[in-house]
Amino acid sequence: MEPTPKYLTRNFGNPAALTYDGYVAGGGYAALKKALGMAPQAVIDLVKAGNLRGRGGAGFPAGVKWGFLAKGDGPKYLCVNADEGEPGTVKDGPLMEQDPHQMLEGIAIACYALGIHQSYIYIRGEFHKAIRIVEAAVEEAYAKGVFGPSMSGSGFALDVAVHPGAGAYICGEETGLLSSLEGKKGMPKLKPPFPAVKGLYDRPTIVNNVETLACVPHILNLGAEAWNALGTEKNGGTKLYNVCGHVLRPGYHELRHDVTLRQLIYDVCGGMKPGRTLKAVVPGGSSSPILLPSEIDVRMDFDSLAKAGSMLGSAAVIVMDDRTSIVRALDNLLHFYSHESCGQCTPCREGTHWLYEISQRIVDGRGRPGDLDRMLDICTNMVGNTICVLADAAALPTQSYIQKFRGEFEDYIRAGERRGLLGGIEGKAVAHA
Amino acid sequence: MSPITPELKARFEKIVARYPKGQEQSAVIPLLHALQESGGGHLTTEHQQAVADFLGVPMSKVHEVTTFYTMFSLKPRGRHHISVCRTLPCALCGCGDVAKAVRERLGVGPGEVTADGMFSYEEVECLAQCHLGPVFQIGDTVYGDLTADKAKAVIDGLAKQGGR
Ligand SMILES: Cc1cc2nc3c(=O)[nH]c(=O)nc-3n(C[C@H](O)[C@H](O)[C@H](O)COP(=O)(O)O)c2cc1C
Ligand code: SF4
Ligand code: FES
Repeated sequence: MEPTPKYLTRNFGNPAALTYDGYVAGGGYAALKKALGMAPQAVIDLVKAGNLRGRGGAGFPAGVKWGFLAKGDGPKYLCVNADEGEPGTVKDGPLMEQDPHQMLEGIAIACYALGIHQSYIYIRGEFHKAIRIVEAAVEEAYAKGVFGPSMSGSGFALDVAVHPGAGAYICGEETGLLSSLEGKKGMPKLKPPFPAVKGLYDRPTIVNNVETLACVPHILNLGAEAWNALGTEKNGGTKLYNVCGHVLRPGYHELRHDVTLRQLIYDVCGGMKPGRTLKAVVPGGSSSPILLPSEIDVRMDFDSLAKAGSMLGSAAVIVMDDRTSIVRALDNLLHFYSHESCGQCTPCREGTHWLYEISQRIVDGRGRPGDLDRMLDICTNMVGNTICVLADAAALPTQSYIQKFRGEFEDYIRAGERRGLLGGIEGKAVAHA
Repeated sequence: MSPITPELKARFEKIVARYPKGQEQSAVIPLLHALQESGGGHLTTEHQQAVADFLGVPMSKVHEVTTFYTMFSLKPRGRHHISVCRTLPCALCGCGDVAKAVRERLGVGPGEVTADGMFSYEEVECLAQCHLGPVFQIGDTVYGDLTADKAKAVIDGLAKQGGR
């Protein structure tokens, strides 16, 4: 494997970079200066040419999304999605805690390109440390004249504020995030209209993930061609991957976008723990369909994983070894989705609930013939029938776990057979407060 | 007496100033956080009413927010509130054993507070520290790579320290 040059993580482990001066000493805010010397549209075109795919999960090209922002007078907003909550995902927290100015520089460039004068950084409420660090960095950026009435002396006004969440996975969904930012329950809204037309306070709004914005300065510094060369076709740049579960060395790594799932597990993370073999792997956070050991020679970019029947999502790899009970793994996730459904769409509220109920009785050894088909039926009714895609995020993995491990589920139902461990979690999922 | 002390009032005003005029409701979550922190770890009806009055937002809207988000508590919590992660990546790494050990050490279940008011316990969904699983969070601190013994040792350490 070719070593990856470090961009997103170049300041990781260097506490000096938390300060404005330390960040500038490492070349920081040079990209902003460069952007301010360009026409706004030229900045958007550059990001488009860099094939920057949204790092929040959907992989939508950032430059194209920016192009959708409604024109015209009046306030427009950039909302930064720092609600990191997709199970398995660890990247936006480290990006904020270890190099907050990198994200702020990305925000400044994006706002300049888009003619936006107010940005809110919506940070997951449990991230006390990241909130503290980003708030301090924002304050310093004001003191140094990066933010405020004249961004770095350009005459362009920009205000940036941190907004904490309070514990709700659904606020990671962009319209749920906007509802939450308005001081309401984090209920998603029907699209269209998309936020780019009608978002925060009903004004045109761009929502971008932390990592997406952290990439922006590097595209300006490197140019689109060099940035593209770090990735694959239509997937520019490097990417932060997190690997968790049963590998020898779990952790997050910045790697070229063309790394394969096999390389990630075996070369980067040291392979499986001693004496164990790979049983299954989730490649892109809990909402992505599961893959078999025979399916891991796939590149970790958005298009390659889609072709392989799964998705890159948040690039969170969850590795399961031969001792894992797939039945219980699914049961754990169904608890998650039924708990996190905001409840406003019947197929999602009822669907996630029924899936978890049936799963619980299978786990308890009370499964009935027909239960698996019943679950697949529920999934069919959930997909594509709801306001946001949380319903799909629950249904698609369920379908894939059942389809790929049907024998294991059937054994469990037939014999009430409790085979396999889930790292010691009891059959009955732990109750929730 | 209003739970909003002069210090809190100054903090509140700074928070509200972040949002456009007419969009004061946006400050509900940050204000509730500030009151919950200073008010001993949970939100009373007076707290919620104070936020509603301060922002000029109906009480029902504030209450809706309080109940929608898991970080807000209407019941008192312990001085140390322990949130054990229960989601798949942590489960694969043995969070069931950790959860059991914590429950046994404290003698309480989810949503309960120890008799001395020192600890409360809760099981939560993914805390975005999955590479360190199993994890729990106490206050601002996340403890990773936990085992049953390590979890108990953390609690013993906090119990010895006493106060906050
Ligand atoms: C249920 C659900 C949860 C989501 N959680 C997050 C999240 O925690 N962080 C995030 O950046 N995007 C999350 N997303 C994706 C956002 O809706 C949105 O696509 C993203 O913020 C766009 O930013 P990007 O284009 O820069 O990727 C979630 C989507 C759904 C449906
Ligand atoms: S799909 Fe589920 S989470 Fe999304 S809006 Fe509907 S009920 Fe809420
Ligand atoms: S699953 Fe426990 S921190 Fe993510």
